[in-house]
Amino acid sequence: MPDFVKTVPVAELADPGKELLEVGERVVVLFHVGGKFFCIDDVCTHDGGPLSDGELDDHTIACPRHGAKFDICTGKALTMPATEDTVAHQVEVRDGWVWVKLSEE
Amino acid sequence: MTLAPATTGFTPETFDAFLRSRNEPEWLVNLRKHCWEAFQRMDWPARNDEEWIRTDIRLLKLSQFGLPVDAAKPEVAVPSLLSEGVQLAGHVSSIDGRPQTATLDEKWRAKGVIFGSLDEVAKTHSDLVQKYLLTRAVNPEYDRFAALHGACWSGGHFLYVPRNVSIGDPFHFISALRGGGADLSHTLIVLEEGAEATVMCETASLPVAGGATGAGFHNGATEVILAPRAMLRLVSLQNWSDQVWNFAHQKALVGHDSSLQWTIAAMGSRLSKVNQHVELCGKGAECQVNGVLFTEGKQHISYHTLQHHAAPGCRSDFLYKAALQDKSRTVWRGMIKVDPLAQKTDGYQRNDNLMLSTEARADSIPGLEIEADDVRCTHGSTTGKVDEELIFYAQARGLTRQEATRIIVSGFFQQIFDRITIESVRNALGHAILRRVREYS
Repeated sequence: MPDFVKTVPVAELADPGKELLEVGERVVVLFHVGGKFFCIDDVCTHDGGPLSDGELDDHTIACPRHGAKFDICTGKALTMPATEDTVAHQVEVRDGWVWVKLSEE
Repeated sequence: MTLAPATTGFTPETFDAFLRSRNEPEWLVNLRKHCWEAFQRMDWPARNDEEWIRTDIRLLKLSQFGLPVDAAKPEVAVPSLLSEGVQLAGHVSSIDGRPQTATLDEKWRAKGVIFGSLDEVAKTHSDLVQKYLLTRAVNPEYDRFAALHGACWSGGHFLYVPRNVSIGDPFHFISALRGGGADLSHTLIVLEEGAEATVMCETASLPVAGGATGAGFHNGATEVILAPRAMLRLVSLQNWSDQVWNFAHQKALVGHDSSLQWTIAAMGSRLSKVNQHVELCGKGAECQVNGVLFTEGKQHISYHTLQHHAAPGCRSDFLYKAALQDKSRTVWRGMIKVDPLAQKTDGYQRNDNLMLSTEARADSIPGLEIEADDVRCTHGSTTGKVDEELIFYAQARGLTRQEATRIIVSGFFQQIFDRITIESVRNALGHAILRRVREYS
């Protein structure tokens, strides 16, 4: 099982804001919304392209190409054309840093 | 002697050291410098570029790999899938971009055939190589990978067949990588008028300490130039380990009444992005391209093909078949381009995908760009799962589910195997694929 990985200082990420990270062999997006952090794969399940350039609206991110929306807390696909959820990862804040634990695929 | 691959990155300092170590003709040094400037000037492909939108290279760290800056010859055996038991006209091998062995049957040398490591031939037959290397086929400024290749290629392969020389036995090239190694090999094949040859190219990853193969980086190019009435059968087997990043630019120029049969098999690599371009540039030219892709695990293989009809009365036939297992992904993007003067064109392209897992993904994007008005151009694509009724039928006759899956996969590729005239290639590909097939779920 993967362990938590130290990523960025809490103070570095604006609220609301998002940042692209490489954790192990995965590219993920870290979100800071409403004082909480969330992390999902940087993959739109519709076409396999990146989500990170999409528009963040509250707890939803829209894919910049075809507009599919995903819940940043759970990775759930909310609108067409995406029909499959993207992967969400566990996040913890410790000692002023954000830690991410990758989910098993 | 076993050498660790260079892992010093692709920096101006290592490029200078690489140039100093090679003692090459001035034109080649200048070509490399020109390409290096392009590499420095260009950006990596953008994620929103149509060609790269489905292929994510953000985890590629070029600094993990490096150039071969010494002239050492690694003495390591390179196992071959294609050449076992085959009488060869010649054989060239390289490891981590360092030439290893080169042999040519004296019978063909006497007839004027020039064959060997491109690194050596560029010095011994400088004028001939200068005429063809990165001049007419592959454009070294197509993108940043092509520019890096043009600047830093090494461990290449060269074949020149003079006019009306017909060679029955195949030539064999093999490029191998060890963990952390980089291979920027360049293959250049030139057949003069009426010449005929068969070439088998393959790649392999060699185990390092502990039996693992380790990461690797291949950024290669293949150039094929066929003069009128020449005929080439070319087989390319990509069999890197699943930790190798694989990038390639391949282009063939097929002249008047000449013929190219090109069989591609791609089974290895962590991620592959290949541009394959055939230009039919002489009246009556023909090409048949057969592609076999088998992916598993989290492999990603992306092929971008272009069959360019630049002359009238030419025929092209591209057939790509892919079987996908686990969470792997393929992208096939094919284009038939017909110039205004290329009347009486007969162009065909097809991509079939067999999904062996519900989590695999295949993107198939055929395209036509036709500027002539008297042509026949057709394309097609199919994607489907294994038919459970076929598995049930086979199981009812005593086969296990895995055996049934293997038979169905074998049948799926049979259309391409039937087109391969070299028995050793047909057997090697068939066995390599079937070894990888697990139970269909």
